[in-house]
Amino acid sequence: MAKHLLLRDLDIPNIREIEVYQANDGYAAWHKAVTTMKGEDVLGIVKDAGLRGRGGAGFPAGLKWSFIPKDVFPKYVVVNGDESEPGTFKDHQLIRGNPHQVIEGTALCAFAIGSNLAYIYLRGEFSEPGKALEKALDEAYAKGMLGKNLFGTNYSLDIRVHYGAGAYICGEESALLESLEGRIGQPRLKPPFPATNGLYNKPTVINNVETLANVPLIVHNGAAWYKAMGTEKSTGVKLFSVSGHVKNPGNYELELGKFSIQDLLDMAGGSSTGRPIKAVLPAGSSSPIIPAANFGAKLDYESMGTIGSVLGSCSFIFMDDSVNMVWAARKMIRFFKHESCGKCTPCREGTNWALKLYNKMLSGEGGKADIDLIADVNKQIIGKCFCPLGEFATSSMTFTLKHFKQDYIDFVEKKMGGSPEFLAELARDAHATHGGH
Amino acid sequence: MADLINLTIDGVALAVPKGMLIVDAAKTIEKDIPVFCYHPKLKPVGLCRMCLVEVGTPKIDPATKQIVKDEAGATVIAWQPKLTTACTTPVSEGMSVRTQSKPVIDAREDVLEFLLTSHPLDCPVCDKGGECPLQNLTLAHGPAVSRYDYADKQHNDKHAPLGDLMFIDRERCIQCARCIRFQDDIADDHVLQFHNRGRAEEVITFSTPGFDSYFGGNTSDICPVGALTTADFRFKGRPWELKTAASVCGHCAVGCNTALNTRLNTRTGVREIKRVMPRQNEQVNEIWLCDKGRYGHHFTHAANRLTHPLIRKDGALQEATWESALQLISDKLKTVPGQKVVGVIGDRLATEDAWLFGRLMTDVIGAAPAFVSPRTASAYADVARAAGLGADADFKALGKGDVIVVVNGDVEEQAPVWFLRLRQAVVDRGAKLIVAHHRSTKMHRYAAGIARFAPGAAAQWVAGQPAELAALKDARNAVIVFGDEKLSGHNARALAQSLAHALAEAGHADKPNSGLVPLYPHGNTQGVCDAVDPSRGAMPESADVAWLAGVGDPADAPRAGFTIVSELFLTPLAAAADVVLPAAAPAEREGSYTSGDLRAQRFWPAHPAHGESRPDWWAFQEVARRMGKDWSFGGPEAIFAALAAAHPAYNGLSYAGLAAVKPQWPMVGRAEVNFGGTVYDNTAGLGARTARVPVGGAAEAPVEPTLADLTRPEPALYRAGDLIRHSAVLAGRLV
Amino acid sequence: MNWKTTFRKLTRIPLGFYTVLQQTLRKPVTVQYPEQTRPMVPRFRGRHHLKRYDNGLERCIGCALCAAACPADAIYVEAGENTNDARFSPGERYSQTYEINMLRCIFCGYCEDACPTNAIVLEPIEFPTGYSREAMIYTKSMLLESPPINVPATPQVTEPGKFDRSIVPFPPIDQQA
Repeated sequence: MAKHLLLRDLDIPNIREIEVYQANDGYAAWHKAVTTMKGEDVLGIVKDAGLRGRGGAGFPAGLKWSFIPKDVFPKYVVVNGDESEPGTFKDHQLIRGNPHQVIEGTALCAFAIGSNLAYIYLRGEFSEPGKALEKALDEAYAKGMLGKNLFGTNYSLDIRVHYGAGAYICGEESALLESLEGRIGQPRLKPPFPATNGLYNKPTVINNVETLANVPLIVHNGAAWYKAMGTEKSTGVKLFSVSGHVKNPGNYELELGKFSIQDLLDMAGGSSTGRPIKAVLPAGSSSPIIPAANFGAKLDYESMGTIGSVLGSCSFIFMDDSVNMVWAARKMIRFFKHESCGKCTPCREGTNWALKLYNKMLSGEGGKADIDLIADVNKQIIGKCFCPLGEFATSSMTFTLKHFKQDYIDFVEKKMGGSPEFLAELARDAHATHGGH
Repeated sequence: MADLINLTIDGVALAVPKGMLIVDAAKTIEKDIPVFCYHPKLKPVGLCRMCLVEVGTPKIDPATKQIVKDEAGATVIAWQPKLTTACTTPVSEGMSVRTQSKPVIDAREDVLEFLLTSHPLDCPVCDKGGECPLQNLTLAHGPAVSRYDYADKQHNDKHAPLGDLMFIDRERCIQCARCIRFQDDIADDHVLQFHNRGRAEEVITFSTPGFDSYFGGNTSDICPVGALTTADFRFKGRPWELKTAASVCGHCAVGCNTALNTRLNTRTGVREIKRVMPRQNEQVNEIWLCDKGRYGHHFTHAANRLTHPLIRKDGALQEATWESALQLISDKLKTVPGQKVVGVIGDRLATEDAWLFGRLMTDVIGAAPAFVSPRTASAYADVARAAGLGADADFKALGKGDVIVVVNGDVEEQAPVWFLRLRQAVVDRGAKLIVAHHRSTKMHRYAAGIARFAPGAAAQWVAGQPAELAALKDARNAVIVFGDEKLSGHNARALAQSLAHALAEAGHADKPNSGLVPLYPHGNTQGVCDAVDPSRGAMPESADVAWLAGVGDPADAPRAGFTIVSELFLTPLAAAADVVLPAAAPAEREGSYTSGDLRAQRFWPAHPAHGESRPDWWAFQEVARRMGKDWSFGGPEAIFAALAAAHPAYNGLSYAGLAAVKPQWPMVGRAEVNFGGTVYDNTAGLGARTARVPVGGAAEAPVEPTLADLTRPEPALYRAGDLIRHSAVLAGRLV
Repeated sequence: MNWKTTFRKLTRIPLGFYTVLQQTLRKPVTVQYPEQTRPMVPRFRGRHHLKRYDNGLERCIGCALCAAACPADAIYVEAGENTNDARFSPGERYSQTYEINMLRCIFCGYCEDACPTNAIVLEPIEFPTGYSREAMIYTKSMLLESPPINVPATPQVTEPGKFDRSIVPFPPIDQQA
């Protein structure tokens, strides 16, 4: 692998310090943009580069920025650093290892849309990366990269860090805004979309940390340079968080569309247990599980779609064949039940019910009828939820049932439920879920 | 109309105004889309997912941008792949909606099954049972059986107090947020919020004291399950056991339409009011009611109500018959000259009582001065009658370009439902609000302009032609709400006159939706003053005979050799009287009130009168007959007819006219009775607006306030009076 | 009035006397209750009893569904609020007043059907009798069965949280821990 573009902390030690960052072309794009360019120019470059949102949905970033109305003030940039998808830890490393690139990307985005205030919303648990980011911000202010009348122009920009309280739903952009405004983290009704009615009812761009970390490179090196990487529709590089039964878990920075899932698995050293890999969750617990048979698929937004899955946040959790899919699905449903915000009925009640059914399976009381009931409850949630989280919650059930139905049948027929490990796990969970959620 | 949108719902073509939501559009053609979180008075949120429907829009050819037509020439509809919430989707041209297709019916079943997994199903002990949207919609759309393990239901608090007046059953709650949204969007008392998340999400109050709002009772009405119940109605009866009588709240000048629900009480053996519910009247109270109106009904059944006429014998009041009491009164009145008799009537009596009282004083007794208590309010009622709101005036029509001025009044404390409606005119529809007061009120939150003056100097402030009132000039409509806080009668009249003058100068005198709105102390101040035409002179120091009908303030009673008191209770004035006549409470009789915005409204008897108490008009008529007058009014209807013939403001009105109803929007009743909450249907009458009557006389100059004026207590909603002190449930709130 | 109608009216008088005479000679319909009783039809369900759980708590929760189901409007219920210090029945609600007008009742048993807790049961133990109309209005004390032996009557003092649900279909409330 050539030099990293995002995970530059792997190549350049101490790039978290502003002197080191500046010595490596840091803030050059920012200085160039503020002093010589117009906001529209920056927007145009990012649009040309075909940069797609790295948060999960893959929405083109430049297009998103262009929705911001020009004549409404103030406008805001909100950086989504909630990173709460299980198995995802790319933003964590970016913020901790290369914070100035995130800050510069945020600043460029704010400049592109004409905003003077940006918030970086961090997951409440990110105390350590948060400290690194706050230190980097202090440095940036001290060096005059942020603040009033930057580089002698009349453009001013402030960036503030806000810590959430640690809720999965706050990774959803409108729930994030609610949380940022100080209210309970629940998604808003759309339309209106944040582009017109976002933070404090003003136009707001919300982008993932990784998305914005790409922006300084794009502005510095030009759209054509960036577009040369990746595929036509999925340009650039992407971080892949690899975890699970692999020898070398961690973040991998790869060009989009050039590698397959199997390549990624090989890069991570293959199975750590020596047992064959059974399946992978490509984007944490919210994604459709991919059985090993489909590992030939290329890692870009389109190819993943063709095998019935998503690229999402690229958090690959590999599971070897010792993993029972009923157990795995229960684990994920428990997560979603715990993280459901409670706003809409299907997600609130459906995940609660589904978890009870899985618990019944694990405790050994489940029968074949319960498999059908799980499928039914799952079907009852699909397509009725207020926000994507409710729909995400169903994919663990839908796709484990689709690809690994035999696991369910075996579970009942071989009476795998009720084993001491499962009972101990249920007891542990019952103890852990104090406060009823 | 240009901005009508054509759409099709289940094959029925209709045209509705632009911006209307699908759920409301369906309602107009009597197709009920089931809802829980949606409420026609609240902003849509779309979180219960009950109203999912199939929506399609005309298919557009991407190349030509033209609507695609099939061979038959019909528009091809592109159906959306996912179901859409009808409560958040506005109609669009050519839209097609399916509310009865298989996916929609399945979705309703699915959502209901989900909702019921966490619902305790304790309908037999639930106060909402019988008028519960969840019950009704489950019967109509729900699955026949649940596959959820009943024994596995989660158990939460069942009778948790949210405040002193409201209880929450956390198991029954379906997290629709109607209560939270009402408190935030309508009442602007941010006292409720969700706490926790997921299945553990629950409604909590974070105010001290809990649920600190004057409008909390409404959340119980709009709650689609039995989660929110009032402390007052808890276990008082099942909804189907209650009988309903239409009534009008008399506690303040708004004149909220109410429904009195009554049931037999076996311990006392009489039918009594179990709860007071709002009745929809979009021009008066919409579907809201303040907590004073809702809980302040207990005086009707107070144990110490007067049950018999009392006559002073040997220095003590003793029970007597009506016959002897009436004879004693008429004999006494015959012996004294009319000028030596003084009549004082309280502003809580019906208009009919007041009219007969006035005739009794002038025509029967002859030249006896008649006063209305409280005297401050009666001093300016004729000015308010002349410059009040015009025909068809409606606070709902106030919006952008209109100016609302509040002078010397605390709208939330004195007329809570007007507060809700005026606030919406300002906050939601963009009317400009100017508040002038000597202290801060809740209305100040929304004011575009604020003026201050010394206590008691409101009239002087207006007379000084303040800059704030210049906004009246450019206004489309101007409504001036004023109160008489810290004012004497003279100064209050001067204030009303100067405000009327300011309105006329700015060119709003004859506009239908402009005028003065006084914050009267009670529900019929205007009607009583209209009917009696109170004497403006000073109260005589002493009189031979005084008749005090429903007078609360001892300061309004002259000293007299012989005092007659008509009352509900043995008040200090009644205890000192020579004859006490027991009066029927409003809930026990028929009559009409005229509200502060000049609307005459009827109320109906809900149950028989307490003991031997009789309506006041009957006592006045009986005395008149014993004095040789051939009055034979059969009831309030006939009296109102006579009043309507005699009084220009009431010309052309009749009891039948006041009982007329017409369709109201939003439709909260009809087939699906719980669309907007517990039954609000108004089938009894919307009332009618009375006319302006010009008043003569030059404007009077205000004088310096006296110490007595300045030390008068500030108005407060729960100021303990003769009536609400009997509501034990309000005990913690009385001031 | 012409002579024809006059004549017809006159003939009615002896007819009336005849009817009186007929009834006088008839066997009386009354029986010497309680020494003599009338046979009841075999399908007579009997009169109402309000049942208790084995722990002495009343089954009736004062929901008034019996009153709602009653086609004769013979039942009147007023509910009261249970507390742990004075508990009549499981859950929040109990019947403070429970009255059945036995003269109105048609013994159809709909109240039994409507009852969500099987509190009201018609049992052919005795037939309601009384000397006055007032006496035929059976109050709660007349309808409620006595508690089992060695079990306290209601109201009972109960520990918090043990009986806070009115309707627990399965397992029966008296078998709960």
